[in-house]
Amino acid sequence: MLTKDILKKALNGERISNEECLQLLNYNDILELGETANEIRSIKNPENYVTFVVDTNPNYTNVCEIDCTFCAFYRHRNEPDAYTYSVDEMIQKFKDAARRGVTTVLLQGGVNPELPFEYYLELVERTRKEVPEIHPHFFSTSEIIGMSEVSGLSVRDVLIRLKEAGLNTIPGGGAEILSDRVKRKISKKKGTSADWLNVMREAHLLGYKTTATMMFGHIETDEDIIFHLDSIRKLQDETGGFTAFIPWSFKPENTPLEKHIKSFASPYRYLQMIAISRIYLDNFPHIQASWFSEGKKIGQVALHFGADDFGGTLEEENVHAAANFVNKSSTEEVIDLIHGAGFDAAQRDTLYNIIKVFRKGVEVKETV
Amino acid sequence: MINFRDKNLIPIWEKVQRGNELTFEDGIALFNSHDVISIGKMAHWLQREKNGDAVYFVVNQKIEPTNICVLSCKFCDFAVKKNSPDAYEMTIESILEKLNPELLEVHITGGLHPDWEWDYYVGMVKEIKNHFPRIDVKAFTAVEIDFFSKKFKKSIEEVLLELKEAGLRTLPGGGAEVFSERVRRLLFNQKIGAKRWLEIHKKAHQLGLRSNATLLYGHIETIEERVNHLLLLRDLQKETNGFLSFIPLAFQPGETGIKPRNQFTSAIDDLKTIAISRLILNNFDHIKAYWVMLTEELAAVALNFGADDMDGTVGGERIAHDAGAVSPMQLAKNKLIKIINDANKIPVERDIFYKPVKLHSKNVIGRVSYLNTLPFFKYLDNREYKIFPAPPRQLGFLFKDGNIDAGIVSLVDYFDKENDFTFLPYGIVGNKNVKSVILYSKFPIEDLNKKNIAVTDETSTSFRLLQVLLEMKYGFDVVYIREKISAREKILPNFDAFLTIGDDALKFIKNKPEDFVYSYDLAQLWFDWKKLPFVFAVWAVKKDLPQNKIEVLNKLLDDSLNKFFSTKNNIEEFYTAKLNLNKKEIEDYLNNITYRLGEEEIKSINLFREYYSKLKSKELMVEKF
Repeated sequence: MLTKDILKKALNGERISNEECLQLLNYNDILELGETANEIRSIKNPENYVTFVVDTNPNYTNVCEIDCTFCAFYRHRNEPDAYTYSVDEMIQKFKDAARRGVTTVLLQGGVNPELPFEYYLELVERTRKEVPEIHPHFFSTSEIIGMSEVSGLSVRDVLIRLKEAGLNTIPGGGAEILSDRVKRKISKKKGTSADWLNVMREAHLLGYKTTATMMFGHIETDEDIIFHLDSIRKLQDETGGFTAFIPWSFKPENTPLEKHIKSFASPYRYLQMIAISRIYLDNFPHIQASWFSEGKKIGQVALHFGADDFGGTLEEENVHAAANFVNKSSTEEVIDLIHGAGFDAAQRDTLYNIIKVFRKGVEVKETV
Repeated sequence: MINFRDKNLIPIWEKVQRGNELTFEDGIALFNSHDVISIGKMAHWLQREKNGDAVYFVVNQKIEPTNICVLSCKFCDFAVKKNSPDAYEMTIESILEKLNPELLEVHITGGLHPDWEWDYYVGMVKEIKNHFPRIDVKAFTAVEIDFFSKKFKKSIEEVLLELKEAGLRTLPGGGAEVFSERVRRLLFNQKIGAKRWLEIHKKAHQLGLRSNATLLYGHIETIEERVNHLLLLRDLQKETNGFLSFIPLAFQPGETGIKPRNQFTSAIDDLKTIAISRLILNNFDHIKAYWVMLTEELAAVALNFGADDMDGTVGGERIAHDAGAVSPMQLAKNKLIKIINDANKIPVERDIFYKPVKLHSKNVIGRVSYLNTLPFFKYLDNREYKIFPAPPRQLGFLFKDGNIDAGIVSLVDYFDKENDFTFLPYGIVGNKNVKSVILYSKFPIEDLNKKNIAVTDETSTSFRLLQVLLEMKYGFDVVYIREKISAREKILPNFDAFLTIGDDALKFIKNKPEDFVYSYDLAQLWFDWKKLPFVFAVWAVKKDLPQNKIEVLNKLLDDSLNKFFSTKNNIEEFYTAKLNLNKKEIEDYLNNITYRLGEEEIKSINLFREYYSKLKSKELMVEKF
């Protein structure tokens, strides 16, 4: 089929096949892809706003035994800069964040085998009780599998206990590329693609909402990407539990994977991926532009290529970059970036309910 | 095909396709539109019409001889006063130390120094040319030229001529800021305004210097002021055709105090400004995405939004750097090449005048950039290849250096590479006459012995055909001089005849050159002599391409030609406006050309090969110019 006919088909609301997706991955006219993706986005989410969440992204520990080659963050437990925060310390952080207007905490760690399951339950419970302004968006699939191993409970039972403690969304990280060939090479101790999908499936069946991510631009092939997209589209058909898809390109600095990669993803590849995600994932309500990984300018451009969400304000990360943002809070800056891209900015919660819309042309400082 | 979300853009698109100029109102509608993709698609279409898939860059270096400046412009945090601890001054020796023989361009701008003598500036240009003859000097913005004129009590013309004599080739486009008295009064009231800037560039163009133009956007200017700025540049370009490229510059707030330090322009504003510049400045060949200010990532995206030039390796980019541009000081050439290739374009290393030096890409098809190759390309939809358009001679140089896998190339260039290339049964053939290879003369052809003939610098084969005719048929001895010949410029009166080819020759059809009352169609002269058609160009393909690739290309070309000649009304008005011919005349012109090579054509190719080798053996190949 001609590429333009595939695009027409998608625009008419028909699902495109994996073969057709492969053709789109090899199609380099990004404006054609972007035009179709943007049109589909506007049919799906016709409001002229782009959503964002005021969140923070701390880590309760950097101790991790999985040794993924793409990660520059983890430490082994006896390394000098290894750390693990107590529940008290984390609650204090959340309280500080809540005072700054944060509504969502995306919390992940390493996978630290010395932490008992009770630690995680307490974190969720006390967050709900002591910091009710904060929505806990905690624990990647790897951590949930780790909890299952520490506690001897099944993944399903772990998820039930966490739900009882107050958790009802989990982040979609740790998917990387759902290809066991690639996973064996870049994260061989992290579990298989099926593990990630199973945790997500169990979670969705228990009523959790989650996101899905994809990390590309390393050693994956087009076929791996299609397998990934196909897996999450099928699971979404089954459960409807995904809120958003977040593709991001691998950032090589300081990781062991760096030296194995011939060519990193260009901004073209990223925009192509955003557009194709929108076109292929016809059952996902939201596609998120990852300004934090791709840069603010490319993040803005992605909003015209099918993305309708700008992700989080990432207050915690910005503390370190504070020197660069002396004039503004992160929230103000994110709103400015969305306005600069030509959209109204809508603050949402973790479940994509709109909290407040910031119209273009209205002075942001007065409204934040 | 564009699926417009903003229907207000549809009439603008029609104008763009017809080659019409956009109005002030069109510019405003574009800047007010939220339909970024459609604006990008229009600009990308025009970009490809003009430059195919080529994206240019130059190996260059920026030199700022001093940061001491008598002016205090609000948006500049580069300039300092003489007594400042940060002040610096470079001697000519220290400038030379910063240069190296790999460079093809040096870009010199700096503060307006209160004490330096005129000799220093002239000497700087002279010494650079003395030490590095390959480096073209682009130096001194209109602001500096104006300053020299006042400080050294010379007219603008004197200043420019003395610098030109020293070796100056072009003026950079800086100092234009935004053509608005309102903004000038608020931000740079000591600096020259629009009128003076335009006057200086006009004078430069008249003296044979080329220049660039810029727009500084993203500070306090309005979109009306931006559009007006573009229209003024377009008007001057219509008059002089002296601008090489246009560079929109995103304002870098830095410590200027005009905007918060890190409030950069939005990516969408950057892309729209580039795209709209491409659309409004339809008489500019090149639009630059200046990566130092845009970020590498966004500059890469801009290559699909109308920009066809990445500037260069730059180096020493102090002005933008001091104000906080995030790009590294020197982006290596390899990095530029990778960015351009990632954007699915052809990285074209160029000189200061956009002459291509080397193509850094695989899968390149060469295209003679004339209307008569349209039937091959209009329906050639193959994304495996990237298209590089150039006039025959320039294409020939690249072809002979092995930069091109396949393409429609001039016949004699093919002859020179027959060991490595073969040809598909397609070409550009004048059957009795061709209408676009014309010798205009003040005398009948029989009287051209010992005369001076100007030859367009675009020709490869037509020039050899002229030599064969004049020297072997008539036995003349003629002096040929390569010249830039264009229907819009006056032909130098000291020639007795001139040879024009391609689209320029078509432009002369309705605009006959005065004094040159005789005209000869070279295909006709060949036919009269040999009773054969003349093959000007052939579809060459590398012999070592896989056989299946060659077959696919063969089939693609066959399909393209069939589709072109069976489709009615497929001459966009774009070409009628460009060439000053009506649709019927263009159709007649194309229908008169033979695109498929048969027996007669092959016979003619073989015959001309013999003559061509005789030219070679008589050492006539050494051009006497």
